[in-house]
Amino acid sequence: MTAVAYHRPACLDDALALLAADEDARPLAGGQTLVPMLNLDLLAPTAIVSLADLADLRGIAALADGSIRIGAMETHARIAASRIFAAGQALVPRAAGHIASPAIRNFGTIGGACAHGDPVSDWPVALVAADARIEIAGPAGRRGVAAADFFLGFLTTALEPGEIVTAIVVPPVPGRAIHLRYSRIDSDYATVIVAGAADIRDGICRSVRLAVGACGPVPVRLAAVEDLLTGRPLEPALVAAAGRMLAEAIDPLDDVRGSAAYRRRILPGLVARALAGVA
Amino acid sequence: MAEFAVVGSSAPRLDGLEKATGRAVYVDDMTRPGLLHGAVLRSAYAHARIVAIDTAAALALPGVHCVLTGEDFPHRYGAFVQDEVALARDRVRYVGEPVAVLAAETPALARQAAALIAVDYEELPAVMTPEEALAPDAPLVHADFAGYARRVAVPLPPNVCAATTISEGDVDAAFAGCDVVVEGTYRTQAQVHCYLEPCGALAEADAAGKVTIWSSCQSVFRVQATVAEILGLPMARIRAVAAKVGGAFGGKSDVTVQPLAAALALRTRRPVRLVLTRDDDFMMMRTRHPATVWMKTGAMADGRLVARAARLTLDGGAYAEDSSAVLGFALLIARGPYRIEHVRMEGRVAYTNRLRAAGFRGYGNPQVTFAGECQIDEIAARLGRDPLDLRLQNAVRAGDDWVGGQRIEACGLVDCLERLRAALPPAAPGRGIGVACVAHISGILSTSAIVRVLEDGTVTLSTGAVDLGEGADTVLAQICAETLGLPLDRINYAVPDTDGSPYNWSTGGSRVTYMVGRAVTAAAGQARDRLFGHAAEMLECAAGDLELRPGGRVGIAGVPGPEITFRDISARAHWAVGGPIIGSASVMFEGGGFDPKRSAVTGNGIGKLGAFVFGAQAAEVEVDAVTGRIAVSRLWAAHDVGRAINPTAVAGQIAGGVAQGLGYALYEDLRFDGPNPANPTLMDYKVPGATEMPEIIPIIVEHPEPSGPFGAKGIGEPPLVPVAPAIANAVAALHGVRLRTLPLTPERVLAALDEA
Repeated sequence: MTAVAYHRPACLDDALALLAADEDARPLAGGQTLVPMLNLDLLAPTAIVSLADLADLRGIAALADGSIRIGAMETHARIAASRIFAAGQALVPRAAGHIASPAIRNFGTIGGACAHGDPVSDWPVALVAADARIEIAGPAGRRGVAAADFFLGFLTTALEPGEIVTAIVVPPVPGRAIHLRYSRIDSDYATVIVAGAADIRDGICRSVRLAVGACGPVPVRLAAVEDLLTGRPLEPALVAAAGRMLAEAIDPLDDVRGSAAYRRRILPGLVARALAGVA
Repeated sequence: MAEFAVVGSSAPRLDGLEKATGRAVYVDDMTRPGLLHGAVLRSAYAHARIVAIDTAAALALPGVHCVLTGEDFPHRYGAFVQDEVALARDRVRYVGEPVAVLAAETPALARQAAALIAVDYEELPAVMTPEEALAPDAPLVHADFAGYARRVAVPLPPNVCAATTISEGDVDAAFAGCDVVVEGTYRTQAQVHCYLEPCGALAEADAAGKVTIWSSCQSVFRVQATVAEILGLPMARIRAVAAKVGGAFGGKSDVTVQPLAAALALRTRRPVRLVLTRDDDFMMMRTRHPATVWMKTGAMADGRLVARAARLTLDGGAYAEDSSAVLGFALLIARGPYRIEHVRMEGRVAYTNRLRAAGFRGYGNPQVTFAGECQIDEIAARLGRDPLDLRLQNAVRAGDDWVGGQRIEACGLVDCLERLRAALPPAAPGRGIGVACVAHISGILSTSAIVRVLEDGTVTLSTGAVDLGEGADTVLAQICAETLGLPLDRINYAVPDTDGSPYNWSTGGSRVTYMVGRAVTAAAGQARDRLFGHAAEMLECAAGDLELRPGGRVGIAGVPGPEITFRDISARAHWAVGGPIIGSASVMFEGGGFDPKRSAVTGNGIGKLGAFVFGAQAAEVEVDAVTGRIAVSRLWAAHDVGRAINPTAVAGQIAGGVAQGLGYALYEDLRFDGPNPANPTLMDYKVPGATEMPEIIPIIVEHPEPSGPFGAKGIGEPPLVPVAPAIANAVAALHGVRLRTLPLTPERVLAALDEA
């Protein structure tokens, strides 16, 4: 048996130093992924660096420009309960409220989930839809990455060794929030997620953003779809065309949550339902 | 209910407080001085020859005490076919099969050591489905099958571990005369037991070599007998004790890890605890038998059902275990609870290189009832009849005979259907309602009970019945209390322990209330008679003039004055006259079987089963047109329990059975990706959660069973069985599509809707 060191640094710099000193150290946020992986012997870190005491990683607050900054250590449950999100930003608390089950929402954090980068999880698609920015700190300093450039593939993100997610910044999002999550049972991973926002008045779509999750290595968001829908009456044929474009663009696998063909089959209907819900 | 004081009341669980406060002790909570921890190495191959096992590296780790392999377990076992071994020897037959087990100072060390055991395999071709197993020249799962001892020794084709036929009347002639015949093939999947508590045991040997095994099990006596058989020891050297059991559902009716823990304890002379991880439990243990059911049912234009034929192929996995009995029971019950004169039921169980299939709540019934109850609706549709009406027209009644000739003594099926009809709402747009019935049995084999009156007049009730979480302890104590006129808190229910408890076959077959309840009634009645014997002398009257009075007192019937307490009587018995008062009783279910004058039967693996129990359910569903997902909004479950000893416990069994039936109907399916289970985790194998549950409306029907304790019979299994066909029938009622494959996944529903 090898001993595993446990650290609980009081400030971000100390945490980064501990992670920089040992490439086999792992940061611990809510533990909803790290701990199961330890239990399954999928990871054997030499050290665990708890982020629990880092004040920089806490808080859900509005910035001057109407953006919302969510500390990486905020739990899904606290985000889901927050009333600070305005208009289309509400897709973020909606996504949080659909994650797994209450026990997991009470422990799991947005930063941990983003760093894990599982494409079937709920955050990647929501944050890509919201044009969120992922804030990162590491040995080389701090930087921000657009969500669309952060989630790169299966368990692959833009994080470099020694870096951690510190916050997620959600800019103002016009329109009404869209978050349609379809899964076998409520607490399962999603089979398909449609996330976004739309500003639809008198049947005319003034602005729209739509991203599809859990259907491939990265969330799919198509400018062509958003251009097609914007400025036009939302006729069923138009919506169906948009759904078909997305269905062709996704790259799902066959798995226990549904075949690739099934996901493509139901996506246009889910897109239509999502848009009808905010019309 | 004025008739009884304790029976019929929803008494709180005897163990409710300790469970609700987290103080109930399960195997994983138990410890002993010097405890070692076990871990198991699993096979990575579906079929392979074991060339060599090198345990040196594992044994060299400090703190590893003992490593055992198949060579340490020379005895074969198996209830119907002696094809099983406690650890794989020479061959592995499924991915996950235990190959080696070890004991070490800590659980982590044990796991680490298991990973150091090197096994040299020579991979062999595997058969992963019955189709592959039954193909000509298929690789044999058991090359030595011909040499195995078998209980039902009929000739069998290769890779078949059981084959049975049951027929009555002249099916072919009857079909030829039918006005309507429906025919189809139905497929059901591997459902995993998914008890909350994985399998576990703690074993400890004493200086004389007697080993005590605390375990999560359905029967301490099965554990005792099977461990003795596997280890080649007399049963008198094995003591099995029940821990609290966190669910079993049939998955713990045979031994699980007890033989491994016992062997490690005997070898190390240290107590050893072996509790499976969820991961190990999924990979090593059991599922329900996947089934392919071809069925044909015929009726006359007036709705009379006259003939049914079925051919059933079950996937038994790598070891036969209970497959003969599951098959036999499935075929016996496949007629359904209808007056169908002509039946021909044929079936076989194929060996495959998958984890073994086993008894599972329903025991072959859910598979055939899915087919049978779908076909009743298919006939109703063809005849333009209301499906519930058609069932009422054909339903069996008390006094009818079952297939084989057993008389149905009590039967509330018609009442269940009538109560269901009265409860159902009028048709609403977008909602479909489907109905399905269930017949099952409650009984099987033998059991016993001992009632001891303690010196102060309170009572210790001993049975061998392990409570799996359903509340049987409470129900049996209620039966004892009622028989003796005592309040429930004067009854001590003893933990099942082969050293002190009287024999019980198992908690299974929906039998504890009915069978053990009969033994408790008789034992408590004997204790009462002995109390009366003393009281007659003390009160100077005839024993026949005495009556029980509430609270443990005896008086003279019709004379309000003189009375004496159980305490006075028991003190006299203990200290002065006659000796302690003990009542005991043994019972065996002796009805049933096949009457050779009416039934032609070959290869039968079942004996005399039990009293028949009946129920009927209705499901109200909506179907999402976009995704095909079925949502069950309400489910009415009418079940005849003879008498509800504890109505809340009955409603609990109904809710639990419906939940598990909902999982079977809609979600649960252990799939395979080549030789490997594709979803052997709770992350990927989904049981329904709270948000998936419909509103469940239990309807308790009471047609007292003459032989049952206070008229009671079982409710453990039946509520699971009709859920899937009721939902499939509801979808058919709503959209006119007939789904014949479980689970009814959104993908399958949508494909059917697309085709329609």
